[in-house]
Amino acid sequence: MTAPSALASLLFRKPGLLTFALLAPPIFWLVVVYLGSLFALMLQSFYALDDFSGLILHEFTLATYAHLFDEANIQIILRTLIMAAVVTVASAIIAFPIAYYAARFARGKMKALFYLAVMMPLWSSYLVKIYAWKLILAKEGIVSWVANLLHGQWLIDALLSIPSIGGSSLSFSYIGTFLVFVYIWLPYMILPIQTSLERVPYSLIEASTDLGATPAQTFRNIIFPLAFPGVVAGSIFTFSLTLGDYIVPQIVGNSRLMIGQAVYTFQGTSGDIPLAAAFTVVAMFIMGTYLTVAKRLGAFDAL
Amino acid sequence: MHSEAKWPLKLAATAGLLFLHIPLGLIILYAFTTEEKSYQFPPPGLTTQWFAKAWFDRPDIWPPLYLSLEVALISTLLAMILGTCAAAALSRARFYGRNSLSLLFVLPIALPGIITGMALRSAFDIMSIAFSTWTIILGHTTFCMVVVYNNVLARFRRTSGEMVEASMDLGATGTQTFIYVVLPQIASALLAGGMLAFALSFDEVIVTTFTAGQQTTLPIWIYGELRHPTIRPITNVVAIFVIAVTFVPILFAYYFTRESES
Amino acid sequence: MKSTKTSMIAILAATSFAAPAMADMVKALGAGEGQLDIVAWPGYIENGSSDKAYDWVTDFEKSSGCKVNVKTAASSDEMVTLMNQGGFDLVTASGDASLRLVAGKKVQAINTDLIPNWKDVDPRLQSAAWNTVDGVHYGTPYQWGPNVLAYNTTVFKDAPTSWSVVFEEQNLPDGKSNKGRVQAYYGAIAIADAAVYLMTKKPELGIKNPYELNKDQYAAAIALVTGQRALVGRYWGDAAVQVDDFKNEGVVASSSWPYQVNLLQADKKPIASTIPAEGATGWSDTTMMHVSAAHPNCAYMWMNHSLEAKVQGDVAAWFGSVPAVPAACKGNELLTDTGCDTNGFANFDKIYFWRTPIGKCEAEGSCVPYSQWSKDYIAVQGK
Repeated sequence: MTAPSALASLLFRKPGLLTFALLAPPIFWLVVVYLGSLFALMLQSFYALDDFSGLILHEFTLATYAHLFDEANIQIILRTLIMAAVVTVASAIIAFPIAYYAARFARGKMKALFYLAVMMPLWSSYLVKIYAWKLILAKEGIVSWVANLLHGQWLIDALLSIPSIGGSSLSFSYIGTFLVFVYIWLPYMILPIQTSLERVPYSLIEASTDLGATPAQTFRNIIFPLAFPGVVAGSIFTFSLTLGDYIVPQIVGNSRLMIGQAVYTFQGTSGDIPLAAAFTVVAMFIMGTYLTVAKRLGAFDAL
Repeated sequence: MHSEAKWPLKLAATAGLLFLHIPLGLIILYAFTTEEKSYQFPPPGLTTQWFAKAWFDRPDIWPPLYLSLEVALISTLLAMILGTCAAAALSRARFYGRNSLSLLFVLPIALPGIITGMALRSAFDIMSIAFSTWTIILGHTTFCMVVVYNNVLARFRRTSGEMVEASMDLGATGTQTFIYVVLPQIASALLAGGMLAFALSFDEVIVTTFTAGQQTTLPIWIYGELRHPTIRPITNVVAIFVIAVTFVPILFAYYFTRESES
Repeated sequence: MKSTKTSMIAILAATSFAAPAMADMVKALGAGEGQLDIVAWPGYIENGSSDKAYDWVTDFEKSSGCKVNVKTAASSDEMVTLMNQGGFDLVTASGDASLRLVAGKKVQAINTDLIPNWKDVDPRLQSAAWNTVDGVHYGTPYQWGPNVLAYNTTVFKDAPTSWSVVFEEQNLPDGKSNKGRVQAYYGAIAIADAAVYLMTKKPELGIKNPYELNKDQYAAAIALVTGQRALVGRYWGDAAVQVDDFKNEGVVASSSWPYQVNLLQADKKPIASTIPAEGATGWSDTTMMHVSAAHPNCAYMWMNHSLEAKVQGDVAAWFGSVPAVPAACKGNELLTDTGCDTNGFANFDKIYFWRTPIGKCEAEGSCVPYSQWSKDYIAVQGK
């Protein structure tokens, strides 16, 4: 027996050792690279920036956090939270029928087609997709062009005149930002819902029907509760991705910053890494809370 | 099937899929437009010249493409090793802290990319690490590992450990058991995970912006071109190429996982 | 203005940074290092890929053997950040970045003896407050120009004469409100645009210099830009995006650079530019060299090359700016002999060049510093 295989056999005989040996490399990676970096991030947020020269002073201070709680920055955080929540709810509503159809009715070739139809947009250059939306939503873009054709310009005008979510053009408004977010993250919602719907045993549905439940009752009392963890799992993605994105609101939006943009702007444009780090810590805190709730709702088993 | 889908469901599903695909159609359409700088709808004319131009006249496309391929390949390989280890360990063993560990393993995907990016950026700043290809790989491997881990973990859960025990009891060495028993069981899931990881890495821009410094990966090149277009349809040509490059692995990943399940 | 500049130098020299000793300067040039990394404004350094006629890089690369890599930056803040990160040899810094770079010790003094073309530089720029501290030169002047008011000629038959079209709600000559049809620059330095407008509009505020605002003057400027928020659909930060906005988003008036106006006119769009009666802010850019530039010889060769009359004229024609070398105004094919006048050669004294607002200032004794401007402008955009 050679030395390495002797070692391998030893590991197998002692399962604890095997587990340890297997876990060591990935844990080392995640703890050193990932958690280590998260720690560095926390540390950064306790530094501050020298305003004039733009250099970071590596000394402990709470000045950055004091600045974080300025009204304008609180606004940024709230705005992002609301957007993430609305995008998540809308994605779930749009995704459910697609996932439901794919899971319950599509078979064979149709099923493969559905899968690819969801995966294609997910994997085709995120940036180019966003720019395509800019063209769709522009004042002289495709939506307006179609609206003009159908004499529906008034509808767009009415939509844009809604206070706060409207604006001078779809691509300069929260409506536009919202649409693009829903578009970009929708596949992340469809896939987990579909997975959890596929796990609903058909016998259960039959039993429900046999016992005299209407289709609506079956859906409400059997299918939806069982698929709910999938919705929550999907919502982790849509919420988290919206929370951290800085490219969508920059290209389609109204110059009111979201958390991701604030991080990007502060670290890239103003070089204020400490403040950018503090904003990121806020996002971490929000996601931490979200994940804790999601775990309670069983989302991790549906991932 | 016992039942047919009702029309409102069909309608909603179809509308949803259309919503997902119209922008893709536009990307393809505008690879053929005659406009150079910015787009208008409808395009004033159509041409196929940009494909040739992208191929012959734009040497600036190639270095970012090679960098992206390099990063995606190395990250995927690392992720496949690390992700498989983690999945193997966490699928069977029961030990204290296992739950927190499984949470840790999904964290890089569950937390927004900007956190991973900004965290690495902070760490590089504090430790004075200069940006290099490896700083990009560091970030990509972190989230690619999770994709592989998820795929392989699902497979491990469905296979039984008895085969491994039998193999060892019959006198096979650990290496033999791994090659002849474990690997065939997980191969397709591992490959599928690897494919998804590759596609994910190849198109990633959020984390990369923070870890690349002045290096240009293909998505960063695309972003630059979209912001300061020299010839904008070229970007669409490249995007179509990216779609093609990522589509093939996705297709493979699908068939790898389906075949073994049915 | 002159005395302001001198005292600014004195303050800067006395407070934060003693000028580095002349000994740090490059004494003699060697062979090129084969590469040169430059941070520049979009459109400033062209290698013919946008338009074959506009190319002042290819010949330089051939003769010097230095391959030129350009990283474009959309704002002065971004330039400062990039230079702080390092990895670049040169930056085309505007006045609101240059002194911050000097203060942060990120750029080095340059030896003008090694730059034969230095003698041709416009004397008004050679020792300007934004590139020379304590008699030490921190770079070679590149180009300068005004921040113009770009407008749509189908809406405005005559050029607007006041910045009020972008600051105050009103009906434009086509009878429709300007709400949602104007833009402003996304950088905090745009507050100075408001201050310039207020100098004429509210003389009782007594603003003498738009970069030196006391608390009350500053509050008035912030109130003005806050009101402007309701008119602006989206702020522009990116030249290419603004071009798109004029084309596709119904924007009809905005502060802008001549560069965008040139691009739009080249595309046959009904856009023109003007400097309204209140005057305008502007920029005067300096090619500055990083303290730890990896390719100093190539950097010096570029600085000299950038002052060639031909290069200066070509840049001016492409960007719509004014050359730092007056000789460039004559005999340049692309710029033509009237180009310098068109781009505002005679307006030098009417332009309030971008500078970093600092706490200590001559006009008011105590002014609102740039850090405050930045924070407030983000808040204004969020309203």
